Amino acid sequence: MEHSLFFWSVMGWMVVWGAVGGALIRHAYFMRDLDVIEARRVGVAVGAATGPFGLIPLYFKTPKLTRAWKIAPWFGVLGLFVLAFALSDPDNVCVSSGSFLTSQIANGLIMGTIYGLMALGLALIFSIIGIVSFSHGEFYMIGGMVVYYVTAVLLPGWNPLLAVLLACALTFCVGALFERAFLTPIYDGRVERPTEYAILVTFGLAFFLQYLVQGLGGANPVKADAFIELPRWRFPEDGSLIATSRANITLFDTIFVSTPRLMAAVVSVLALAGLIWFLFRTWWGKALRAVAQDRQAAAVTGIDPRVMNMLAFGLGCMLAGLAGAVLVQAFSWLPQTGTIPALRSFVIIVLGGLGSLPGAFIGGILMGLIEAAGAGCIPDPTRAASYLPAYGMVVLTLVLLLKPTGLFGRKA
Amino acid sequence: MKTTLLSSAAALVLTTALVTPALAQQCPIRIGGLAPLSAPGSVTGGEAMRDAMRIATDEINANGGVLGCQVELVVVDTEGLPERGRAVMERLITQDNVVAVGGGYHSSVGLAAKDVAEAAGIPVVFAETWNDRITADMDRFIFRLAPLSSEVAAIYANFAATVPGVQNVVIVAENTDYGLPASDMTRQGLEAAGITSTIYTVDIGTQDFSGIIQRIRADRPDMIIQVMTGEAAYNFTQQAAEAGIGPGDLPMTCDQNALESAAYWQNVPDGNLCFMNAVGLPTALFTDRTRAFVEAYTAATGKDAAESYAMEAYDSIMILAQAINEAGSTDGEAIVAALEAISYDGVLGTISFPINAGNTPEQAGVDPKWWHQFPDPAITVVQYQAVGQSSTDAPVVFPPAYVTGEPIWPHQ
Repeated sequence: MEHSLFFWSVMGWMVVWGAVGGALIRHAYFMRDLDVIEARRVGVAVGAATGPFGLIPLYFKTPKLTRAWKIAPWFGVLGLFVLAFALSDPDNVCVSSGSFLTSQIANGLIMGTIYGLMALGLALIFSIIGIVSFSHGEFYMIGGMVVYYVTAVLLPGWNPLLAVLLACALTFCVGALFERAFLTPIYDGRVERPTEYAILVTFGLAFFLQYLVQGLGGANPVKADAFIELPRWRFPEDGSLIATSRANITLFDTIFVSTPRLMAAVVSVLALAGLIWFLFRTWWGKALRAVAQDRQAAAVTGIDPRVMNMLAFGLGCMLAGLAGAVLVQAFSWLPQTGTIPALRSFVIIVLGGLGSLPGAFIGGILMGLIEAAGAGCIPDPTRAASYLPAYGMVVLTLVLLLKPTGLFGRKA
Repeated sequence: MKTTLLSSAAALVLTTALVTPALAQQCPIRIGGLAPLSAPGSVTGGEAMRDAMRIATDEINANGGVLGCQVELVVVDTEGLPERGRAVMERLITQDNVVAVGGGYHSSVGLAAKDVAEAAGIPVVFAETWNDRITADMDRFIFRLAPLSSEVAAIYANFAATVPGVQNVVIVAENTDYGLPASDMTRQGLEAAGITSTIYTVDIGTQDFSGIIQRIRADRPDMIIQVMTGEAAYNFTQQAAEAGIGPGDLPMTCDQNALESAAYWQNVPDGNLCFMNAVGLPTALFTDRTRAFVEAYTAATGKDAAESYAMEAYDSIMILAQAINEAGSTDGEAIVAALEAISYDGVLGTISFPINAGNTPEQAGVDPKWWHQFPDPAITVVQYQAVGQSSTDAPVVFPPAYVTGEPIWPHQ
């Protein structure tokens, strides 16, 4: 970084004025007997983005904190951060190359969509059953393994989308059966510590599935063929608008997208649309949402919460399996493949707000963008990709400091 | 009567003398084998080493064993993790009571495990751990067959200097005790040849390289050198190929596990023209011993060739067996003395450790890294020149002493 002193000075300014703003504006609203929690957050954002220039009028006027007040200052914080970075490191490829930046954003969005899909499954399980499944990564792994074994070993030539459907069905069934066999004791008081029991039993399932797959198929990396192989095509002739090769699409000579990933993202978006339809347009989906909102009230109306538990766990596992099923064409696959994506999903659902389905999906997209920005823009190339898992953690820490319920979470 | 007693006593003395070696230690004699058999370790490498060590053990036992005892091989899974390597070395020594240890793939594991063996006085012959410090620490009980990282780095740098038009090289390295020093030494070698380079480091288990690949692409390198193990190397190569900077687009050196032809082509279908470094005699220079091993290995594993690390793992067990026989004991000090004096005709060639307690690095005027180090493992660069080609058929393109074919430069 060319002007690191300037950059860190701006960061220091933001931290100091953010802290001052949080305390000062909270005090102002408290003195007027207004909502202090939102006031503190708005104070932090206005302080970090504008320093004393925004804080002084806010302190004296104490306006009603509308949605615009709650959101707009954060864009100011982001803008100031980006401006400081751009001025401090003008030669950084993120600053000097628009095409690179666009490519990174496109990649971040694509990966974020898939992260979101996987995290959505975890959030669904948490919102209905109230447990965190530590075997989520293994369902992701199994989804990929099923597609690989079906398309490359057992039934070569089969349409890979049929294999994806099979992976979804299998992960749903395994999840639902597991819920019936092992999670029912937590509903009826048969175990003394239901939360700890759920952690241990899902951990046990994770190890079992991982070593079962390793025992059956070995531990060597495998990979499915790309679901779609594009022909070499350019439009217009110089390919300035669109150019395709077997595994890549180039848009405007600027954005490079790998087709296996794009395909995975498209399937994820379709699955998300299907899930929304299911949750909002079918009786089963409405029943699931009812149980998530109020278990007892739902039971009174004739919904069996136990069936909903099984459905939620099965669906959650299926979403993880689907994410794996569409990514096995993009990555090499191992029995341990699910570990890192599962950890990422835990971070995402906390970032988005525990139990919040939109939060999980938006958190996933945010995580994709954050990782893409970290890998692409951190000036030191020996650290940019090494610290990939840490970028999300940094953002999560900042969010939790300001909003312990996560971005879209609500108080219990 | 007197004659009978004398005869009996003589028979007893004779019998005692004959069976003493076998009675002096417990049978069977146990030898430990280190191999990564789970991710994030290089599973392809680990399984190959395990198979080779088993072949060595079977061969030893078929020829009468060691000191009249059968040999039992105890293979442990290091997972490529240093903490795990330390733990399994402790287990081998304290629970399995091994008298010596062979194998070993990841440098970080070797560095962690060697201190445990050294403290316990158990000789170790490392097969595939390259970090210079493994021998440079001049531990009494530690030996190595694999090449030094600095020597391999020199080969890479010298090879890069022969590639037409190369001015700017990107080195992608794993952030481990293997990748970090090896990439730095390669950078120094390139610098000495007037070639600029940028090092990108990544986590050993990285699956998604999209962010870093876009960044490398923006650097417009003339060549990419990988210093990575495990499936991460497969992922990087394939994803780079999809982004248009793969082995078919510009000169790229792949990790050694690319020598596993079947796994490589399954995971990296677009990996043609990749260069790989191979340790051990090129096919054209195979000795009878090498050919016999390759025949046994391919018959046992169903592969079409034997990889460098398989040969090294085989030799690490065989050389220990010979040393125990020559020492006439399983005592650690006696085995070390035998190893220091050994001349073993293995599949890698005639192996000895000329820099030892009787000829220290100081006396020999060489760097301490040559302590207990096999000085002559042949290091070559081979290139896949057809999709699906076996690594045995891939021509050696560097160094000139071993060349069997002309390189194909993808950028020309």
